[in-house]
Amino acid sequence: MGKTLFEKIWDAHIVVEKENSPSLIYIDRHLVHEVTSPQAFDGLRMNNRPVRRPDLTIATMDHNVPTNNRTLPILDQTSAVQIQTLEKNCKDFGIQLFDINSPNQGIVHVIGPQLGITLPGSTIVCGDSHTSTHGAFGALAFGIGTSEVEHVLASQTLWLEKPKPFEIRVEGKRKNPHAVTAKDIILSIIKNIGTSGGNGTVIEYRGEGISDLSMEQRMTICNMSIEAGARAGLIAPDEKTFEYLRGRKYTPKNYESLVNYWRNNLKTDSDAKFEKNYTLHIDDIAPQVSWGTNPGMTCDVTESIPSPEDFSKGDQNQKKGAEKALEYMALKPGTPIIEIKIDRVFIGSCTNARLEDLIEASKVVKGRKLSPHVRAMVVPGSQMVKKQAEELGLDKIFTDANFEWREAGCSMCLGMNPDILSPGERCASTSNRNFEGRQGTGGRTHLVSPVMAAAAAIEGHFVDVRDMDLN
Amino acid sequence: MKGNVIKYERDNIDTDVIIPGQYLKVHDYAELALHAMEGLDPDFHSKVKDGDFILSGRNFGCGSSREHAPIALSHSGIKAVLALSFARIFYRNAVDGAFLLPIEIEEDAYSDISEGDEIDIDIHTNEIKNLTKNKTYKMKPFSEIIGKIIEAGGLFKYKPD
Repeated sequence: MGKTLFEKIWDAHIVVEKENSPSLIYIDRHLVHEVTSPQAFDGLRMNNRPVRRPDLTIATMDHNVPTNNRTLPILDQTSAVQIQTLEKNCKDFGIQLFDINSPNQGIVHVIGPQLGITLPGSTIVCGDSHTSTHGAFGALAFGIGTSEVEHVLASQTLWLEKPKPFEIRVEGKRKNPHAVTAKDIILSIIKNIGTSGGNGTVIEYRGEGISDLSMEQRMTICNMSIEAGARAGLIAPDEKTFEYLRGRKYTPKNYESLVNYWRNNLKTDSDAKFEKNYTLHIDDIAPQVSWGTNPGMTCDVTESIPSPEDFSKGDQNQKKGAEKALEYMALKPGTPIIEIKIDRVFIGSCTNARLEDLIEASKVVKGRKLSPHVRAMVVPGSQMVKKQAEELGLDKIFTDANFEWREAGCSMCLGMNPDILSPGERCASTSNRNFEGRQGTGGRTHLVSPVMAAAAAIEGHFVDVRDMDLN
Repeated sequence: MKGNVIKYERDNIDTDVIIPGQYLKVHDYAELALHAMEGLDPDFHSKVKDGDFILSGRNFGCGSSREHAPIALSHSGIKAVLALSFARIFYRNAVDGAFLLPIEIEEDAYSDISEGDEIDIDIHTNEIKNLTKNKTYKMKPFSEIIGKIIEAGGLFKYKPD
């Protein structure tokens, strides 16, 4: 029987394998950031262990860096200490660091691909759940905790139980690809399969609706695999993948011979079997807006807030969850999504802060002004994205419309730096999680695409961007 | 292992409510514990006792890879979380650092066990005894690797055969 792409990558990285036992898997690339690494380095020091492959380890600071003026000192002392600790750890253990002043600094999942560090067929880990993003390049990439970070630093391997392959086919063509985006595809998938629908699996996204996407859009899809509970999500590499990585800073010297190998080997065999299958038809899908407190609580922009009874389809826990979510979000069943007023807009995060995201959002904003009661910030995913956007004049489009144009980092995706919501504030956010308190205690998050966020910023409430001219 | 149950009757308890992002800069585990479950249950810290268990629904610990989540629970005194299912990163974090036991249960235990019930968990017989209600439930056994890491006392103490 044939193998899936995931099984091929897994098999190629087995160091130790025994029947009915976990496998020891080799890790090709380890990405490190300031929040989940300090205790791992402490552990190495305590046991007198070096980093086994500093050359395969890359670090940056993204989670708690301020996104305002970088020439000023960091006011939050605990953040400053975490950032200095990463600097010291990288120096002591010989790890390359893109620090807060580096032109290569940025969200770890944005800079990996941009620098050519993310490669097809490789295994990539990071102490961050959105490591699944790198799967867009046909890599097996997943988030790990700090104990596992220490294990990889020490041994470049991990003890793992093999996940099951899950095929998600995305079929058809979007009628308006500027208005209905990759974010709407992945939110539709999570809405349908649920936040634990992918538990124990590695998803392979396939079909015309996936191959039509650009690399940056594919990253948005794979990024949110974790929100469906999957271990990882990946997409077989194709000519778009190879073209994207050609000639980047760390693209390997023997790149073309690697491409030949990848082209012939990195795909699921026609007779391979998946444990699970799901198909989404995208011809008629609408822009999506989350209304609750997990990404599965999402509906079309044309719909109204569902009642907990309708949402739960008879499941008591789901019903209770929806009731609690509506209470937290201060929303009533039956309210049309387009009548929900917003206070804040966040265009950023490893899900949606790449150049294409900012270009698409700028088309909505160009020549218009922010709604007077809304505060909106644009936080590029990396300093490279910021520079490229500025070369295209996007910063001017946003600031002319009264949006804030900031420095790169995770920012208001997770409320670790000063960019947070105040209690009760309602935000249209291009990030990945609408959990209670995620963007600040008492803050209310609606997950949307960059164009939907930009349009909400202009109008002051959600609108169906299919009604706008986005070309 | 005996203890009393704190029950959260819902699915998808995420790591952001277990320990909100603003505390990920805190390295003192005792201080982290003060903020455990703060996003969901501000009274958690005042009611939790050493040796207690948490009981909850599906997909417990979904979201971020922060190991701070099982650490905060563990340093609050929680010895095990019983849930219908777990998100994978939380599950491994709990076991790898030997912070607490993630125990998968079936619907009968979930619906039957109430807040405050005293239960006795035996991970060798895979049985959960409800001492308050005088009933016994099955837990799902740990997989081989997880069982071995738990037995060893964490990932760094685990030595393969």
